[in-house]
Amino acid sequence: MQREAAIREPLILGNKTYKDITDDVVGPNEGPAPMGWKIMITIAALIAVYGVGSILYLLGTGIGVWGLNKTVGWSWDITNFVWWVGIGHAGTLISAVLLLFRQKWRMAINRSAEAMTIFAVIMAAIFPGIHMGRIWVSYWVLPLPNQFGSLWVNFNSPLLWDVFAISTYFSVSLVFWYIGLIPDFATIRDRMKKPLAKKIYGILSFGWSGRAKHWTRFEEVSLVLAGIATPLVFSVHSIVSMDFATSVIPGWHTTIFPPYFVSGAVFSGFAMVQTLLLIMRKGMKLENYIHVKHVEYMNIVIIVTGSIVGVAYLTELFISWYSGVEYESYAFINRFSGPYSWSYWIMMTCNVISPQLFWFKKIRRSLIATFILSIVVNIGMWFERYVIIVTSIHRDYNPSSWGEFHPTSVDIGIFIGTLGIFFTLFLGFARFFPVLALNELKTILKSSGENYKKSHESH
Amino acid sequence: MAQNKRYWSGLDELHETESFQAIREQEFPAAQTVDEFLSDERMDATHTGRRDFLKFMGFSLTAATLAACETPVIKSIPYTIKPEDVTPGVANHYASTFYNGQDYGQVLVKTREGRPIFIKSNGTTGRGKVGARVNAAVLGLYDSARLQGPMKGKEAAAWEELDAAVQGAFGPSATAGRKVLLTNTIASPSLRRAIAAFGAATGAEHIQWDAVSYAGLRSAHRSEFGVDAVPRFDFAAAKAVVSIGADFLGTWGDTVRQAPDWASNRKPEAGEMSYLHAFESVMGLTGSNADVRTMIKPSEAGKVALALLSVLNGKGAASGLDDATWTAVQQAAGRLKAAGTQGLVVAGSNDAHIQVIVCAINRALGAYGVTVRLDQPWHLGRSQEEAMTQLIQDMNAGKVSALIVHGTNPAYSHPQSAAFALGLAKVGLSVSTAGWSDETASRCAWTAPDHHWLESWGDLQAYGDRVDWVQPTISPLFNTRAAGSSLLRWMASPDSDWYTFVRQTWNPAYTAAAMYTDPAWNSALHDGFMTVSDPGQAPFMDGASPGQGVSRLDAAIQAVSSAKSGAFELELYQKTTIGQGDQAANPMLQETPDPLTKVTWDNYVTMSRSDMESLGLNLYIGQEKPASVVQIQAGEVTLELPAFLLPGQKPGTVGIALGYGRGAAGESIGRAAFQTAEDGSYLQDAAGLPVPIGKNAFPFAQWVDGLPVFSQYDVKVTATGATYPLATTQIQNTYMGRESIVRETTWDAYFQEKGAKKGEASWNKLITLAVHEDVNGDGVINAQDGKPTAAFDLWHEHPVENVGHRWGMTIDLTTCTGCSACVTACHIENNVPVVGKDEVRRHRDMHWMRIDRFFASDYSLERGEAEGVGKIGAYRRMEDPAENPQTVHMPMMCQHCNHAPCETVCPVAATTHSNEGLNQMTYNRCIGTRYCANNCPYKVRRFNWFNYPGYKKFAHANPAQDALTRMVLNPDVTVRSRGVMEKCSMCVQRIQAGKLEAKKAGTPVQDGSVVTACAEACPTHAIQFGDLNDARSTVRTISETNRAYHALEEIGVKPNIFYMTKVRNTTEESTQA
Repeated sequence: MQREAAIREPLILGNKTYKDITDDVVGPNEGPAPMGWKIMITIAALIAVYGVGSILYLLGTGIGVWGLNKTVGWSWDITNFVWWVGIGHAGTLISAVLLLFRQKWRMAINRSAEAMTIFAVIMAAIFPGIHMGRIWVSYWVLPLPNQFGSLWVNFNSPLLWDVFAISTYFSVSLVFWYIGLIPDFATIRDRMKKPLAKKIYGILSFGWSGRAKHWTRFEEVSLVLAGIATPLVFSVHSIVSMDFATSVIPGWHTTIFPPYFVSGAVFSGFAMVQTLLLIMRKGMKLENYIHVKHVEYMNIVIIVTGSIVGVAYLTELFISWYSGVEYESYAFINRFSGPYSWSYWIMMTCNVISPQLFWFKKIRRSLIATFILSIVVNIGMWFERYVIIVTSIHRDYNPSSWGEFHPTSVDIGIFIGTLGIFFTLFLGFARFFPVLALNELKTILKSSGENYKKSHESH
Repeated sequence: MAQNKRYWSGLDELHETESFQAIREQEFPAAQTVDEFLSDERMDATHTGRRDFLKFMGFSLTAATLAACETPVIKSIPYTIKPEDVTPGVANHYASTFYNGQDYGQVLVKTREGRPIFIKSNGTTGRGKVGARVNAAVLGLYDSARLQGPMKGKEAAAWEELDAAVQGAFGPSATAGRKVLLTNTIASPSLRRAIAAFGAATGAEHIQWDAVSYAGLRSAHRSEFGVDAVPRFDFAAAKAVVSIGADFLGTWGDTVRQAPDWASNRKPEAGEMSYLHAFESVMGLTGSNADVRTMIKPSEAGKVALALLSVLNGKGAASGLDDATWTAVQQAAGRLKAAGTQGLVVAGSNDAHIQVIVCAINRALGAYGVTVRLDQPWHLGRSQEEAMTQLIQDMNAGKVSALIVHGTNPAYSHPQSAAFALGLAKVGLSVSTAGWSDETASRCAWTAPDHHWLESWGDLQAYGDRVDWVQPTISPLFNTRAAGSSLLRWMASPDSDWYTFVRQTWNPAYTAAAMYTDPAWNSALHDGFMTVSDPGQAPFMDGASPGQGVSRLDAAIQAVSSAKSGAFELELYQKTTIGQGDQAANPMLQETPDPLTKVTWDNYVTMSRSDMESLGLNLYIGQEKPASVVQIQAGEVTLELPAFLLPGQKPGTVGIALGYGRGAAGESIGRAAFQTAEDGSYLQDAAGLPVPIGKNAFPFAQWVDGLPVFSQYDVKVTATGATYPLATTQIQNTYMGRESIVRETTWDAYFQEKGAKKGEASWNKLITLAVHEDVNGDGVINAQDGKPTAAFDLWHEHPVENVGHRWGMTIDLTTCTGCSACVTACHIENNVPVVGKDEVRRHRDMHWMRIDRFFASDYSLERGEAEGVGKIGAYRRMEDPAENPQTVHMPMMCQHCNHAPCETVCPVAATTHSNEGLNQMTYNRCIGTRYCANNCPYKVRRFNWFNYPGYKKFAHANPAQDALTRMVLNPDVTVRSRGVMEKCSMCVQRIQAGKLEAKKAGTPVQDGSVVTACAEACPTHAIQFGDLNDARSTVRTISETNRAYHALEEIGVKPNIFYMTKVRNTTEESTQA
């Protein structure tokens, strides 16, 4: 059995036993739903319904109900798309990359982080769909043999690469998440008294028996899936960044985008994980499993990726001058001093300055500060995509087409609606799914549980 | 609605069947499955044998499949007896002539399946080239607001009733009082003959009155030369032109001939260029194309003329002008002297005193007989102002017992329109021949609607040497009657057939038997004109008493010198797209941006920056940045309008466009004639009437010696604090020093390097990108070693670039005047939707091509460095135009890039490159992601944000939504649905048709046989279209000259469109015009 150095903080606090862990995690799935949860999901569902209604209005009337125009063809739609996809990257990184790096602390957070990824990717996928002028023929982006010749899709197009990237990302994440859930569903199935619930969890547990053979296969499959999912962390957002990088527009046409976007994605994803988990641990009384150590480690990831993002901003500014390209330098002068400079400065403040606060241990280990800053970071990351998209295209090459953009209530309503749908899904997840990776946590109890550590120390 | 319509697209529509009504509203017709169809019980009732069953099944399966497809089955009824010349799918062109009191031009009307859908200049047998106002006139035929029959007040009436009443009022037993026939300038010899006969028969007087008067010009020539006419101004013979407020390129005089004539002397390759110096208050089309432009106040127009005269006859007095203007006058006079008899001065004012002085100038130059042709007088512009003023007085005094109004709308456009309207009520019997219930007709007792000109027979003369024919291109749609025929009826003429009357004007022996058999007539009708071998004296001169030639020069000098100026002066001008306002209900024209301001759907007060700053008005207009409203007051006339910053406006002056404010009392002048709200319904004022577009500025005219002069020398301008949104298509007005977009130079610089090889002239240097290799062989690797962008390529060349056709265009910035004829032609040819003011305000106009109007800024990065302002500060200042800037008009449409950035990024390959160089837009493949539009550096792509042919927001503005107006749609071009991209296709339908014609004839495609709508419409031939792979084509030749360049060449997209450097006939570089 693995021994962990005594100096490391325990990962599971509170003198837990295996049974305790099961009770703590599966308990919320079994009893009646708490009132707080009911209130939250009602609010979230109402917002979701408003969002769905806005979407139906958009699809029925036309893209003209948004604030887009002949100069600014994308704004909130693609900003939201990239924002949500970016958020999703944290879950995959936690589940896959940290697994390959054998970081045990990920086990308390990976289940809910991966759920966040799934739901974030679903939210993200809404936008490329609804932003199309003719969503009813959106299936034409799929390279299926057809009666038109066959007429294939345009493989040169980054939007098409997005189709492959996002669908791959979604399917791999879903499979990975589901595989990990199987033993936990089995645990619930075995404990569940209500007949219908027992039947459903039974189906979901896919015939899990707890035999060594199943565990062996489980470990192998998890490793393989982690291996597949890891490159996705880097490739998916690189491809999303190519939506801009392969264009000719100054401010978009830059090779720094793939690493810049990937770091930004991890940055905002971890911030969203912090936001969700800090609330979840309180609401579901999981403070012993998700505690300061986890929060601190995630904040360290936030500093690292936030600093990369900050360096990328400064690099862009430097290159806009150093390149000697007039359009490039104007694009950035316009960013920080033009009509949308307010969004640029929100972005800089939220993304460059705020994560640097995590250098201070006190702030890094403070749950309240983390919660506030995680929201600030996500606001900043939303503005980063807004700045990239809107400030670059509203004033590009030909001054006669310089334009402006003003959002309509439908732009805003759909975005808030996706927040509503996301939280509805996440709250549903929290109620019906085991939010911590039960089976994984149990593997580190004896090496990293507080009581066990203390008993080892005494030897 | 079914009862009154006389046209329908199918039997279902005629009978208003349920199925038709159900389909009508749907954006996507419902599919019917085969199951549904086969399980229809009615099928069991029929008795069919085996063969019939098989036939039936085969047919019905096909029919069911067709019905299940997305495209609805349209039942079309073929001709059982096909008319000889009408072949579905093949267009017929008819030569006709357009005249509405302002524009006069010979046109070819393209008809398809018996209805006219497109108007273009008659380039073969016509003169000059018509502009935007005439191109768009085809829409008026299909206006659902047209009167469908005679009216008595607001009720429909019968012709017999109306004729009886009018005959009574003009007959021998009529009441005492004046009987007047009030018309615009009659250009038709036949109508003149009929009017003369009418006058003789009934004792009626004939008064001619036009909204925009040239009476001052005529009066001056009457006193100075004894000729009561406007001469022809021959700009083709002029080497130096000075314009004092005369917008001869856009709206003043015979623009149809003047614009191409002037442009014929603006070709730098010819070795010399004419010189144009404009003195203007409001930046107009002519001033924006002038080599030098000087800002003056309206009251200074006469003083400028006087100063010019004084320099030319040696007296040299500045006569009350400031130093800058005096210097400009001397400069202009110098060029005029150098041009001698080939100089020309024109003034736009209707003030006879100013025109007298201009006559003296032209006489001093010796221009009469060279550039001013009194021997070719203009038959138009014969407004009788004093008679009209007297008429209004007499009407109000009840002295007019009968009044016929034809071709003119004084209740709107007369400066005393209110008095005229009051007077109309007191006229015994008033009848109008207007085709709409306009401001005048709606106040007349009767309306006897004339045919639309596209439905009419007639003859017209603008100059004595030829007669131009008007021939109908469609049977009258409604129960209207030719005005001439009405006149004949009202004087109880035995034969009131107008066609017969016209033919008899030119052949008194004509009878109906000879209708089709006169070869001379047939050939003249085909050509659209007939030469008049011996013009003799102009017909309108017989009877006009020539003046005795007593010069009024001294009195004129006295008058102009004493013109006083108030705090503000007002100049009333006309927009090139709207003119006098008779097509105010034309949605295509309202949505075509004004060439100078780029504002649509409104008029406004143009002001200078300094004046706006001192009044605290909003300087920048945008989607959420409305304009500030100001109140203009002159005497008793006040108007509140939004203020618009127009560079080049003389400080201390304001400008307001005429032709707006039509339908102010809710007159039914057209569906698109009123402002619409965000949801597409009409905006309503406090009285519940629909809000007109803009406001009527005609009442502001001042009276000088009985003639209306369209300016005021003392007005008050006050800010009201209110705001008003304006819809503009261009919010950034300078080109930010981006010289790869606009290239301009002076004549001297051009001439010095005239023989330079392409890409080597300093004013058109090929863009190169520095490389790390010794390209120029000087032994050093530095910034001078560069390769052209074509050398850097990620992509292979398209394998067929030099095989077959490669369609391309050249656009000469030197001759493009910005008149926007190309824009309207493109719209009508390609069924471009009209989106209305609210959408244009949101920057969602659908113009496939636009004319970018760039004003020069007097700031630059170099100046910023010199003044230590820094790049950020410099860029900020470069966004603002200079006070009196030079202007560039740059038509911009899809560049059909050979390495198109839009083609690579479409996920579904909806935009591809053809093997003839065109960038193709496949509407039915487009899923609407809009990446192509984002990636286009020229921003020429347009997206269908809504269902323009069906959504309620566009019900009034978009012609495609009106059941009648949609007849104007071009059947060769798809009407796009919601959610797809569209853009200039280089009129691919014309290219394909041209190739087919050549193939049928077995010849290669000849240069000039295939022409895009824009190139065809351009009055100055600035746009040329053709095959770049054809070594002898015009575009190939022009594209190889040293003035040719690609816009934004350094991006490396390899466009197929070449621009030609703009050359101005000035000696030094300057941003100030």
